[in-house]
Amino acid sequence: MASNVYTSPALTFELIAKCSTTRARASILTLPHGPVQLPIFMPVATQASLKGITPEQLEDTGCRLCLNNTYHLGLKPGQEILDAIGGAHKLQGWNHNLLTDSGGFQMVSLLKLATITEEGVRFLSPHDGSPMLLTPEHSISLQNTIGSDIMMQLDDVLVTTSPDKARMREAMERSVRWLDRCIAAHKNPDRQNLFCIIQGGLDLEMRRECCKEMLARDTPGIAIGGLSGGEAKADYCRVVETCTALLPDLKPRYVMGIGYPEDLIVSVALGADMFDCVWPTRTARFGNAVTKNGVLNIRNFKYANDFGPIEPGCGCMCCREGEDGMGITRAFIHHNASKETVAAHLLTIHNVWYQLQLMRDIRQAVIEDRFPALIKEFFAGLYEDKTQYPEWAVEALKRVNVDLTV
Amino acid sequence: MSDPNLENSSDMSGRKMFELISSAAADGSAARLGKLSFPGKKVVETPNFFAVTSRGAIPHLTPDNLKRHTSVNGVYMALEDFIEKKEPPIQHTPGGEGSRRLHRFTALPSNTLSVLGPRRCPAITTPFGNTPKALAVFTSTGFRNVTVPEFASYVQSLQPDIVLPMADLPHTSATPSSKKLVRMVERTEVWLDEFLSKLASSKPTDSLDSSVFAPVLPVEYPIQWDYLRHLSEDVIGKLDGLAVYDANLLPDLVNYPPLAPLPKLCMDPPKTPQEVLRQISLGIDICSLSFANITSDAGVAMTFSFPPPSVNEVRPLGINMWSPEHNTAVVPLVEGCQCYTCSKHHRAYLHHLLNAKEMLGWNLLQIHNHHIVTEFFVGIRQALAKGQAVFEEEARRFIASYEPVFPEGTGERPRARGYHFKSEADADRINKPAWKDLEKGTASAQITNLAESSTPSGESQDATPVAVVNVEEAVATLSIN
Repeated sequence: MASNVYTSPALTFELIAKCSTTRARASILTLPHGPVQLPIFMPVATQASLKGITPEQLEDTGCRLCLNNTYHLGLKPGQEILDAIGGAHKLQGWNHNLLTDSGGFQMVSLLKLATITEEGVRFLSPHDGSPMLLTPEHSISLQNTIGSDIMMQLDDVLVTTSPDKARMREAMERSVRWLDRCIAAHKNPDRQNLFCIIQGGLDLEMRRECCKEMLARDTPGIAIGGLSGGEAKADYCRVVETCTALLPDLKPRYVMGIGYPEDLIVSVALGADMFDCVWPTRTARFGNAVTKNGVLNIRNFKYANDFGPIEPGCGCMCCREGEDGMGITRAFIHHNASKETVAAHLLTIHNVWYQLQLMRDIRQAVIEDRFPALIKEFFAGLYEDKTQYPEWAVEALKRVNVDLTV
Repeated sequence: MSDPNLENSSDMSGRKMFELISSAAADGSAARLGKLSFPGKKVVETPNFFAVTSRGAIPHLTPDNLKRHTSVNGVYMALEDFIEKKEPPIQHTPGGEGSRRLHRFTALPSNTLSVLGPRRCPAITTPFGNTPKALAVFTSTGFRNVTVPEFASYVQSLQPDIVLPMADLPHTSATPSSKKLVRMVERTEVWLDEFLSKLASSKPTDSLDSSVFAPVLPVEYPIQWDYLRHLSEDVIGKLDGLAVYDANLLPDLVNYPPLAPLPKLCMDPPKTPQEVLRQISLGIDICSLSFANITSDAGVAMTFSFPPPSVNEVRPLGINMWSPEHNTAVVPLVEGCQCYTCSKHHRAYLHHLLNAKEMLGWNLLQIHNHHIVTEFFVGIRQALAKGQAVFEEEARRFIASYEPVFPEGTGERPRARGYHFKSEADADRINKPAWKDLEKGTASAQITNLAESSTPSGESQDATPVAVVNVEEAVATLSIN
């Protein structure tokens, strides 16, 4: 076996290239439903549908791996029905890869509804208000039924900004214990991958400790969790770089809940490979277009008479003109934003394409070993001059040998 | 995708855009076969239908899906959907290169016909009626008037393939007094003449022509006979078709032979396929199909076909996809249906999407329902090709074979917007509040496991206490992951 390939029963990870300056990597992750190119952004089809667009339109953006949320699918359509249908791929007519979260995050994001014990997460059913319990075993059972190509362990999630160090340690250690329970409960290790999730808040020492424990369990992929919960970006970067430094080269690294373009490009430079976030699709429904020059709120009156494409030069179905494109103008989106669902669908297509194209560009740059130049180009597109660059990004990139200020 | 029907001939000479293939009324049927050909457009074989848009889009269908997954030949658009701003942006759409502004602005595929009329189909009743000089319309920001010169200048700017001139239609009452009816006819005639002369006199040089389909009013024949005579004798040379607001008037048009060869677009939207058959039998060439949108919004998948299948039981026109019986049905909406929805997805998914309030459900239903309607018209034309008697016989069988109305969709509709309806005092809320605070302490039942607790949908609608319905939406809105 070549020294750049890792195989486990349900995935193959092939490292293609490493950036000679930063920690960025390009690789191919082959999952049960086909290969995907890393680094990757994964759009979130929460309830087995990517907000109004067809699986075919999603495929057209180049997407080959998207998310479903276990918590939502557990409520609707429910495990029994998923079982009868034969899993989530079959439910949504998606022949490519799926990743599911554990269901824990959704419950905790409304904390007043959830209490966490060693047994699992106790919460009130949004269905009828009755108390329910989500254990590592239930989460895995549900994800086995869903049939996702990548499943996530149930973890004890705490907001990273929590000052309660003892509670943070408890959460970290419990997440390790829950991983063991998840591994034991996992019925299909030959065709579904279970990833661990590194916890430990913003405490780097605790993160290191967690890495060590999690790595000892040898899951086929590793996630860094508990982030994107309102912590300072500088703290976020510290955690990511601390973890990636300890992770093996030949396993995929997934940072959960990250989706702003700046966060993506910096996180790749810090050595992460996989990301997901609802932001690009949610913001589309609010009339926002993600572009190289920042986020444009197309509902703003200044776009009413703007007959240019959503983003000049963009290759998405909306922005392309001619036979194989739609030639959508900002004026038309403005005309229908918050009015007809079509405007939301169009922006969703554009935004998903933008995110995926950014990752494709990054990947190509890593392969051609010109990633630092791409980072500079990217920030120059977002800001008029260097003094406006966010400090956290400048500092984090400096530590991986890219100086945005020169 | 190449379309064999695409005709690129630019032969507009002699205004021969409509060709009748079979015409003579016989056996009490005026149904006829024809062909509507515009340069650069798909040839529309008639009888056929035009889809109905809202603000320039067929609801829920992006232009790529419209092009790839439907065979819609033409769409109806309403001017009132574009003019809520003082300086409507649509007028400033870059034109030229033979492209029409209405197409460009709405990203309508260039080979699809556009029909522009002043008002939505069906239109919302305005608080005040029309005035001698202006038509009352309803934009997304409120009511206003449009005069004939304004309308004519919009038409010249937007350049629809087909324009329906302003008509003075009944306002609040469907059966106005005869005095009012007389006035409606008089006004419409004055407006039409003014419109035609504006179009002829102030035509910008770069403007592309719009074919004019003159209104036939929903008014008894004895009241509008002179207006119809005016159409057939005085202005016939300027007309390319008729917009018929009441198909029952068609038998009276035999008194005006010059009007017979004109294509007839029915602007009295049918509610069922049975009404479509009736309109065709009366001599309508193109129906405006707003019921496809309504049926999709209701969560109902159409299941009818023409000619009807030979079975002895009365069948429903569609399936209520909200019904929990579909929750594990991994079968197409209609067995054998070739549409994208049926070839790639199944009833269980459609049911799930509606139940989870995912917008994709309406999107997929629109693709399916427009396909069913397309096939329905193909069947009608095939029957007509065998003769009117065959068509009439199949139509009778259709009426005997299907229930007279669509099944009710038992779930919620997509969120309604201001321009979709007119608010009335003390009316029930059209849209349910998105979510409410979770009532604390409602928990009392035994602990249930998430993995086992999920009840098949559909029940939540009535059994759930109001206060706890929508936490999951709150979750969907708040969580990042």
